[in-house]
This record gives sequence, structure tokens and C-alpha cells, in this order.
Amino acid sequence: MWRKWRYLLPVLVFALGFGLARLDAGLYRQPIAQVTAVRVSHTAPQKDNLGNNDRLTTQKVSARLLNTARRGELIHFTNVYSYSGAMDSRLSQGSQVFVSRTSGGYQLHDRKRDGVIIGLFGFAVALLILVMRRRFVLSAVSILANVGLLLVALHVEIQNHQTLAWWLFTGLAVLFTAVTTVLVVGFNRQAAVAGLATIGATAAGVALGYLIFTLTGYKNLHLESVKYVTQAPQLLFYVQIIIGALGAVFDECTDITAAVSELAAGGAARFRAGMAIGRNIMGPLIAVLFMIFIADTFTESVLWLRNGNSISQTVIWVMGLGFAQSLVSAFGIVLAVPLTAALAAWAAPKEVVA
Amino acid sequence: MSTITALGLALLGLLLLVGGKQGLANFLALVINAVVMILAVVLMAGGFNPIAVAVVAGLFVLAAVIFLSTKDASVAGAAFVASLAVMGLVLAVVVTAVILSHTAGFGQEDSEELEGFSLYIGISFQSLLIATGLLSTLGAIAEAAVAVAAGMTELGAAATLAARRRMAGAIIGTGLNTLFFGFFGGFAGLFVWFAQLHYPFWEILNNQIFAGELIQVLFAVIAVTLTVPITMWVVLTRAKGGRPS
Repeated sequence: MWRKWRYLLPVLVFALGFGLARLDAGLYRQPIAQVTAVRVSHTAPQKDNLGNNDRLTTQKVSARLLNTARRGELIHFTNVYSYSGAMDSRLSQGSQVFVSRTSGGYQLHDRKRDGVIIGLFGFAVALLILVMRRRFVLSAVSILANVGLLLVALHVEIQNHQTLAWWLFTGLAVLFTAVTTVLVVGFNRQAAVAGLATIGATAAGVALGYLIFTLTGYKNLHLESVKYVTQAPQLLFYVQIIIGALGAVFDECTDITAAVSELAAGGAARFRAGMAIGRNIMGPLIAVLFMIFIADTFTESVLWLRNGNSISQTVIWVMGLGFAQSLVSAFGIVLAVPLTAALAAWAAPKEVVA
Repeated sequence: MSTITALGLALLGLLLLVGGKQGLANFLALVINAVVMILAVVLMAGGFNPIAVAVVAGLFVLAAVIFLSTKDASVAGAAFVASLAVMGLVLAVVVTAVILSHTAGFGQEDSEELEGFSLYIGISFQSLLIATGLLSTLGAIAEAAVAVAAGMTELGAAATLAARRRMAGAIIGTGLNTLFFGFFGGFAGLFVWFAQLHYPFWEILNNQIFAGELIQVLFAVIAVTLTVPITMWVVLTRAKGGRPS
């Protein structure tokens, strides 16, 4: 019975998390309301000067407050949403929203989203436990440790008003690698090889990227379009490349060292075996990062295209940084192959003697 | 020469040096993916349904990554079949979560950047986000599927359940690391921003941009985790069917 139905467990966890979060309004200080009735009062076509046709709908919304001292009170407000929904969304009966008090009553502030986050997180964890079993603990510890490091680094960086940002984040990258290697591989020679190769390959890849950026004078690369940055976009761009590449390079280095360490052969044969394994995995790893970085630019790219920008302009301004980031990460991924194979071969004979 | 062209040529050189013919195939896969992604964006902006475009583009991306990075035809075949199945399941998860999360479009933090843009573009940002969510997981699906199919072939038909479980754990474990850093690399700016503005925890959890990014990570994690058992099942079923594996 359990074996047959266990894959429904993640769905159950999702439903549970999502359902419980609908009851958690009491934990918030900001007023939350649940929509009880919606009436469409007005709907009109909307055409901009670029020829885009959209539709605006005005809703008269009644909702009941779920928390604060006025809990249970019925409130009314209006909501305008568009078909495209760039910065608005349609409310329906049962929607939970944050509202804010204005002089004349209440108005919509934002959607409540914690339920989906908690539910989907539970779904992922349940699925991971089903598939990975005991090994999940190790992965969870390693990721939690890295999240902890990230939080500490952010705290330090804010305290120092960003003067240390570069050293802080490169130091963070080294620490990330050390912690992850020790937790995933163990505390041994193999871990030292994988860790050193990861740091070396990532550094070499970013250095090569920096060299090419400088030689070409950042031509057609618009670092000022790095998102959510108030100062030093160039610095943050490099930080993003380093951290982004680190995981894929680490993945590759551990795979190569693990396979090579099982061979009884000498240095040269180990080097060849390492290269062969690396060649097979580097392509898909480049694709993993490429798809993550490029898909992330879709929403903005479509907005640019619909606002009358040419394809080349959009590719350069919006997708350009994603392309650059994937290519520089790919340098690290490719360079990791010979570096790991060489380090593993060099470390090998001594292990046999010892 | 523009920086991207120079970076591309340098990567081609490195891939040829390290991988030879295999490196050339990897570069070709990357070029195909880049063209497919640009084409997909243009089609979406041209009014085609973003989800349909993403599914079709996804087939090309999966095929390019899997068949151009694997020489063994039976490994590639099994990996491709498995990743198609995973893509279907992930699409269901993505559609559900995106609709429920209301994270489509832009957040209040984006408003400065959007000044001067017409936002009423007549294309559903919700569909665009579903397309983004699906496409961003495809690299990870292809990578895990190839790794599992190759690993299963290496272990052979006589492999014990314990050996297979060990392999599954190892592949998901390293895959999680790739995703964690891959995504967090992209959010470094966002984190610094949130930390600077001293957003309280509950506000971050409900923040449109943060919630949107976090569910993207979770999509990829779910995709990789689903890929491993499904690929194993495909490889075993094909072996049972009497085909050479």
C-alpha cells in the first residue's frame, strides 16, 4: 500500500502547507483580508501608442479582515487589473491579500504568497526524501550551512557599507567550496583535490572572462543593466558569475575525482580517464547554467520587444548579461576538466604509497 | 569585436582544446540553444502562446543537449524519453504554482526600471512566467537524465537496488549544489538589496520578486529529483523490452 501510493505524499504535503498558510493571518501585523465577493463594475479596451491591445477590468471587491483588532470587519475596495497583468492581478472569491488603511477606508497592498512558497517547499523536500532517503540529510546540512554563510556575509557587508564587498564575496566563494566539499566528499585527499580544482577552475574562468571583457572594452555589454543594484554594478556582476559557476564546477570536479580515485592505474592513465569523464559531463553542465541565466530574461525581453525595440537591441541589452554570465561560467566548467584530471593524477601515486 | 563574440570564440577554442570533436559538439549544442531561446522570445512577443512556444522550444533544447553530448545512442535515447516525461510533469507543477503564487510580471521594486515602458502589452505575463519556469529547468533535467542513463549502463543490469540508490543520491546531491549556486549567483544583487532595505522576514516571504525567484529554484529542484527515478525506470523498462541497452 505504502509503496504504491508514496509518490502522492509530496502532493499531500503541498496541500497541507498551502492550506495551513491560509490560516496564519494571526501571525502578521499588517492587515490581511479574504475576498468574500467580487463584482466587475467596468471593463474597457486599452490601446497604447505602440499598437498593443490590452483590456482593463475594474472590480468592486468586498473582503473580510482576518487579523488585527478589526478582525471580522467587512471592507470594500476596488481593484483594476489588465489582461497582461504586469503589475496587477485578478482577485477572485477566496483570494487573500494584504491591505493598507487609507483615510477613506482600505486599499489593496499586495497578494499574500506564503502558502505557495511553504507548500512548494514542502513538496520539494518530501520528494527529495522519497528519492534520496538518508542521503538527503547530508545535502540538507550542506545547503543550510551555505545559506548560513550567505546570511552572515550579507550582514557583514551591510555593516561595512559595501567597502569590503569584493573580498567578502570571494572569501565567501572559497568558504562555500570548503564547507560543501568537506560535507559531501569528506575530509580526505580526494576532497582536497576536488576543492582546490573547484576554486582554481572558477578563478581561472573568471580571470579569463575579465581579460576578454577588458580587451574588448565591454563592447555591447551593459553592466548598468545589472538588476537590483544601487552601486558598483560591475563588482556585483563578477560576484554573480563566481557564485553562479561555483556549483556546476564543484559538481564536475567531485564527479571526476570520485571516478578517478577508484582506478588502480598510475598517474598518466588517471589523467586520461579524468579527461574522458570530464568531456562527457561538461556539455550538459554548461546547458544547466545557460538555461537558468537565459530563461530568467524572458519576461523583460518580451516587454522590450513589445515596446518597439529591435531584436538586436533586446538581445544586447536584456539577454546580453545572461549570455556573458553563461559563457564565463562555461570557461570555468571547461577549464575544470584538465585541472581536476591533472590534480587527481598528481595526487594519486602518493595515496598508493601512503 | 563585441564582447559576447569574443567570449564565444574563446569558449570554442577552450572546448576544442579540452574536448576535441566532443567539444565541438558541445559548442554546437550551445549555439542551437541560444538560437532557439532568441527565436522563442521573438515568437512569444509576436503573439504566439508563450506556453506552447516554450514546450516546442523545450523539445529542441532537450534534444540538442542530450544527443550532442552523448555518443552512446541507447544512453541518449533513454535520457531523451525520460526527460520528455519529466518535462510533462514539471509543466503541471509550474502551471499550478505560478497560477497560485501571483508572481507574474514585475514587482514594486522594479518600478524605477520600468519607467517609460508601456506595461499593457497584451501578452499574459502569467503565461510568460510559466514558459520561463519550464525552460529554466530543462538544462538541469537533461544533465541529470544523461548522468543517470550513463550510470545505469555502467552499473549493468545486475546492479543491486542499493547501488542504484547510492547513484541516485550522488547525482541529486551534486545537482542540488549546481542549482543552489546557479540560482543564488543570479540573486546576489537582490539579497544585498533586501538586506540594505532591512525588509522583515515575512515581507520577504511574500515579496513578489523573492517569491518568484524562490519558486524557480524549487521548480528546478523538483525537476532534478523527478528525473532520477523516472530515468532509472525508463532504462530498466527498455532493457526488459529486449532492446539492447
